[in-house]
Amino acid sequence: MRRFWALARSAALEALAEPLSAILFLVALLAVHLLPVFHLHQFGEAGRLSRECGFSALLVFGLVFATSAAVHAIGRELESGTAAAALARPVPRSMFFCAKVAGVLAAFALFLLSVAGATLLSVVTSQMGRIVTQGDVLVWGPGVAAGAGGTLLAFALAALGNGILRTRFCVGACLLMALAQPVALAGILFFNHSPVPWSLLPALGVLAMGCSVFVVMAGALAVCLKPAAVSALMTVAVLLSFVRPLRAVMPDINRFWLVDAFTSGGTIPARELCAAAGAGALLVAFWLVVGSVLLARREIP
Amino acid sequence: MSEPVVEIKGLRKTFRDFWLRPVAEAVRGIDLTVERGDVFGLLGPNGSGKSTTIKMILGLLAPSGGTIRLFGLSPRARAARARLGYLPELSYLHPFLTARETIRYYAGLSSLDRRTAKKRTEELLERVGLASVADRAVGGFSKGMARRVALAASLVSNPELLVLDEPTSGLDPIGTRDVKELIRTLAKDGVTVLMTSHLLADTEDVCSKIAILSHGQVAAIGRTADLLTRTQDARFTVEGLAEDEARALADELARRYGKPVAFDHPSVPLEKFFAEAVGAARG
Repeated sequence: MRRFWALARSAALEALAEPLSAILFLVALLAVHLLPVFHLHQFGEAGRLSRECGFSALLVFGLVFATSAAVHAIGRELESGTAAAALARPVPRSMFFCAKVAGVLAAFALFLLSVAGATLLSVVTSQMGRIVTQGDVLVWGPGVAAGAGGTLLAFALAALGNGILRTRFCVGACLLMALAQPVALAGILFFNHSPVPWSLLPALGVLAMGCSVFVVMAGALAVCLKPAAVSALMTVAVLLSFVRPLRAVMPDINRFWLVDAFTSGGTIPARELCAAAGAGALLVAFWLVVGSVLLARREIP
Repeated sequence: MSEPVVEIKGLRKTFRDFWLRPVAEAVRGIDLTVERGDVFGLLGPNGSGKSTTIKMILGLLAPSGGTIRLFGLSPRARAARARLGYLPELSYLHPFLTARETIRYYAGLSSLDRRTAKKRTEELLERVGLASVADRAVGGFSKGMARRVALAASLVSNPELLVLDEPTSGLDPIGTRDVKELIRTLAKDGVTVLMTSHLLADTEDVCSKIAILSHGQVAAIGRTADLLTRTQDARFTVEGLAEDEARALADELARRYGKPVAFDHPSVPLEKFFAEAVGAARG
């Protein structure tokens, strides 16, 4: 277990230590927070754009973040030699693969928590705006200020920590930005008792499960292909996942995209949630086995 | 004869391309045995099969033929790999980890418990002279400092067999001397060392046995002293003998034995001279 923990921890740290990670966290969170600013909210269902922006941020930025982290954690380590140094220890190859993927998924879970917090805050903010715009006054200020301001403050604090205490900037930025979201949400809820759409969380979790399938798939492919080839293949795989005739052989991203059910006050049946989560878990397990087998057979020059 | 730690018989390795066509025959039937307590040097020019042999011993590459036994087990057996430490040719380290975290990471991979890992890490940081920079990220380290971190990481599990691929690569003369001293100390403590090096002088200094590889085959193997000593010749060192006295003595010996006699003045190794000069300059 210590070996698994050491490998997973290093993979999670490595995923968060990349400058790209901090940029993706920042851009995704700001995109979710700033959306209520747009007047489009006044013409449609309250919070719909906020919800869909949150889900889209998780799908697009989350996929880029986590798949690139998985390719780095497996492919680059095999190329650079750090994998050889680890596998010369009493570390089973299947454990190496699973632990690295687990570390990347832990970093992705942090991204999920950040986006989930930001999405809840954004929806709450848009609801506040709609209520007040009935009197022709748009009050999105506090929510946007708390969300976007908190995110930027977290980024600045990470820079300060790096300058004064020599903490890792990118890791610190990601952690503090993730922490800023629930703090901002709690702050807004403290002053304004708006209803919180907690039902979004399971749907976000299911979408994250769908993304995880692609993350593990990227890790498995990175065992035997060059990182650039894996990135190209993953782009094709994600695009193909939307094509109806290929759903039998490709992970079907539509199955994990449940946000549309919330339109016009709808809900997602628990059976549907469980079925999507179960399908995701099966696919993750399948690619974990594929990656482990490929690594066991691979020569490490 | 002491217990064999590494036993290689008829080892072969052919690299193949995607279509399984042979691309290079890196190792062509190597036989060698490393016994407990040996400091065994694997020498050879580039492409002679040293690193490929090492990687097959570590279980990273699969042999195309022949057998390898590590502590009597397959190199892929976890029980065998738990007893070895490995210093790769290049110091492959995670750049964002500090020196302390790097050693703790490898301690974790060797399943050391938290307290032992912490103790060993602090000991090794002192031993390789990096205690003062232990909390700096290794990505900013010089090549020599990174080498010391990698060396400490290879020692963290107290290995019975230490596999060192070019251990002095990237080190300055003082660092090289320290590493050689460390290898000698480890050997005295009963650790078996298998090392490769391009630096023949370093190998000669520390290795009790050597094997010279060429084109994937063993060109020479044996005890270093046996291979390098020319027992048919003799050399004397007489302290305080002036040039003319030495010449007269050489002439006398040549006349008495009827054979040509050569003499020279002994010199200190450059490494020793360098260390003394740097030490004197530092006061």
